[in-house]
Amino acid sequence: MADEDRRKFLKVATCAIGGGVGLVMAAPALVLLADPASKVTVTTPTAPLDLGLVEQFRVGAAPSKVDVVAPFVKDAWTSARNVVLGGAWIRRTAPDKLVALSAVCPHLGCAVGWDTAAGNFLCPCHDSRFSPAGDKLTGPSERGLDELPLAVVDGRLQLTWVRFKPGQPVREPA
Amino acid sequence: VTDSTKAGAKPGARSSEPPGARTGEPPGARTGEPSATAGELSAATAGEPPAAASGTSSTEQGAKPSAGDRATPGVLGRLRGYLGERGLGGAGPPAMITGRASFARVFGAVLAFLFVVEAISGVALAAFYAPSSTDAWASVAYVQDQMLLGWLLRGLHFHAASAIVIVAGMHLVQTALYGAYKKPRELVWWLGILLLLLTLAWAVTGYVLRWDQAGFWANKVELGIAAATPVIGETIKKLALGGNDYGNLTLTRFYTLHVMILPVIVGALTAGHVMLARKLGPTPPLGAGDRTPRPRWPEQTLRDVIAIAVVLAVLVAYVINLHGVELAAPADPSQAYDARPLWYFRWLFELRELAGSAEKLVALATPAIVIGALVALPLADRAPGRAPRRRLPYLGGLVGLLAVIGGLTVASLVGDAGDDELARRDAKAEQRAALARRLARDNGVPATGAADVFFTAPMAKARAVFATRCNGCHGADSKDRKGPIIAPGHGSRRWIKAMVQDPSSDEMWGRTKLATRDKAMKPFAQMPAADLDAVVELIYAESGASDVVAARRDHGVDMFESACSDCHTREEGMPGSGAPGLAGVGSRAYYLSFISNPKSALHMGRDSSEMPRFDKELTLVERDALAEYLVWLRTATPADLAALDR
Repeated sequence: MADEDRRKFLKVATCAIGGGVGLVMAAPALVLLADPASKVTVTTPTAPLDLGLVEQFRVGAAPSKVDVVAPFVKDAWTSARNVVLGGAWIRRTAPDKLVALSAVCPHLGCAVGWDTAAGNFLCPCHDSRFSPAGDKLTGPSERGLDELPLAVVDGRLQLTWVRFKPGQPVREPA
Repeated sequence: VTDSTKAGAKPGARSSEPPGARTGEPPGARTGEPSATAGELSAATAGEPPAAASGTSSTEQGAKPSAGDRATPGVLGRLRGYLGERGLGGAGPPAMITGRASFARVFGAVLAFLFVVEAISGVALAAFYAPSSTDAWASVAYVQDQMLLGWLLRGLHFHAASAIVIVAGMHLVQTALYGAYKKPRELVWWLGILLLLLTLAWAVTGYVLRWDQAGFWANKVELGIAAATPVIGETIKKLALGGNDYGNLTLTRFYTLHVMILPVIVGALTAGHVMLARKLGPTPPLGAGDRTPRPRWPEQTLRDVIAIAVVLAVLVAYVINLHGVELAAPADPSQAYDARPLWYFRWLFELRELAGSAEKLVALATPAIVIGALVALPLADRAPGRAPRRRLPYLGGLVGLLAVIGGLTVASLVGDAGDDELARRDAKAEQRAALARRLARDNGVPATGAADVFFTAPMAKARAVFATRCNGCHGADSKDRKGPIIAPGHGSRRWIKAMVQDPSSDEMWGRTKLATRDKAMKPFAQMPAADLDAVVELIYAESGASDVVAARRDHGVDMFESACSDCHTREEGMPGSGAPGLAGVGSRAYYLSFISNPKSALHMGRDSSEMPRFDKELTLVERDALAEYLVWLRTATPADLAALDR
């Protein structure tokens, strides 16, 4: 009986020590692997980005696509300059009225294009269509195109880049 | 029936065998039929051994599980029953030891555990590693300095490799002492030697991956030696490099070797090594000791895990104490570095040094001789006995070999420790590494590559140009200074005031030719303080500084008219009358223009300046960087400047 107890103790002790060893090894590895999830690993500029002179956009013309370029992005260990973040469609409806729509489809994030023949926006992935003003027309998208904050400073167009959560009717920043 | 009942019993009804009940069965060294004793023990430990207990009939065995399930219908028991019926539960014959459990038998288990440490830490690190020549160092610096516990896993990964070398060496020595390499275990011995060599190669492939000065230069030396191999050397080197020179392919290839090819090969060979060793059974202890076969579990397994826990504790404490493992500055083929191999190759390093001109031959031949000797040991020592006394020549040879390796290692380390010049260079290299890592943390590493991280320091480019092209004439510390000192505060109100009060003082233009001529500007030492401050404010305002006091500057306009405008002008694009124009003085554009051509009529004029024009000698980017630096100096303090070098 004493021997059985001893064997039982040995087994428990072995498993306990072995479990402790496993924990000591596994825990830091899991902590490290999970760490990026709690960090901003890719920076997004919060300051307005320069899109050039206002004159390049003609009143009443079809929307024109501009690349949204961040002057500086830190991506984990890399610092990169002039990084294209995405596209925006600019429409000038009146001399003093400019609207910027994010080219990121609010459905699942594909890049929305301009259908010249139909005169509206078309997402090539799932055929969502949006009016020139960005309102949802047909297709699976839950909401219209997302408008981006615009300002004119010294005759130059300044756009603030925002990413919104896709796939939901409510517009909220991602 | 008693045996089969026990074999069929569920884990809940733990069968236990008093040691005395075991018959002194021979270890079953050959057939792998552990007999009823072993079968019963495996049942006791691992649950259902399907047909493992060869002593009992399979029908009896098959009938038991369901009965056992009903007897103890625990969830775990049912799961084991389910898996057992499908061939999963239970194990093969249990691992055995001969004689009593002992800490002398833990080396294999500790080694296996250390490889698990490498695997776990390696997988975690691989999730952060980029095998490219521009990103490798940056990604390692990132996980080391910016990720939670990244330093710990890097340290564990690096130092566990050292621990593997140490424990593998002990394993080898022990095997040799016990004579365990003898027939029929020669293959186990040879596999072990091969595994040791592959492990060392594994370490080599890992060291280069960090792409810092240490790993880069060590690899260069190693491949240089490999390239000296007759006939195939150059091919080996090109295959390893992935072409003609170090680059992206070098890293992707070494990375593939390190995380895919070598793990598979070493894993498979280790499995063979262990399986063969178990099949042949453990070598009995020397002399007439207890030779009773016993299962490893739990007596020996407990000792194994205790040893493992102690090794892990020592390893973790060591790694925490060192905060992981060092990371030198990014690999830079243009920067000399005192390359040293990993410590377990130090003896070869020292031997090469001693060999002089025959170094490459020695570096290639010596390992071949050592390996050959180890491989030949079971072939040479074929006498049946294992008593160490009868194997003295062989054991003596092994001890002698280890003593020489140890002695050379110590000699190399001691030699380095006593080298003051080396210590000085190492300190400098460490400073450079610390700067690179701080800049990587603060600014990120440019996409152009890790070596460019140094240029992310503020004013780094300008300061590099200043140090080589400007400091000789303008540095306060320069013996051959010819012009005014350019230092923190240059162009500030204080500096302008000092300049106006005594333009030909030593730290201003006193050392120029201009100062000795009658064209030199007269000192304004006797000017009333308020007027002087007003003029200073006016000149200061030309720099575009944002903290100009408007009222004082306005007063300065009147003062300038009366005191300065005979020679100088503030008008854009206009030369003064034999003196520099002051429009925009102290601004970036002004400095760019001045540096480009100080002899321009807008500035010093053709005859009044000894400073050469730099528009041909420096690029526009360099001149503009200098101009930006001079503007920065206006508000900088000596501490700010020193901080850039921190």
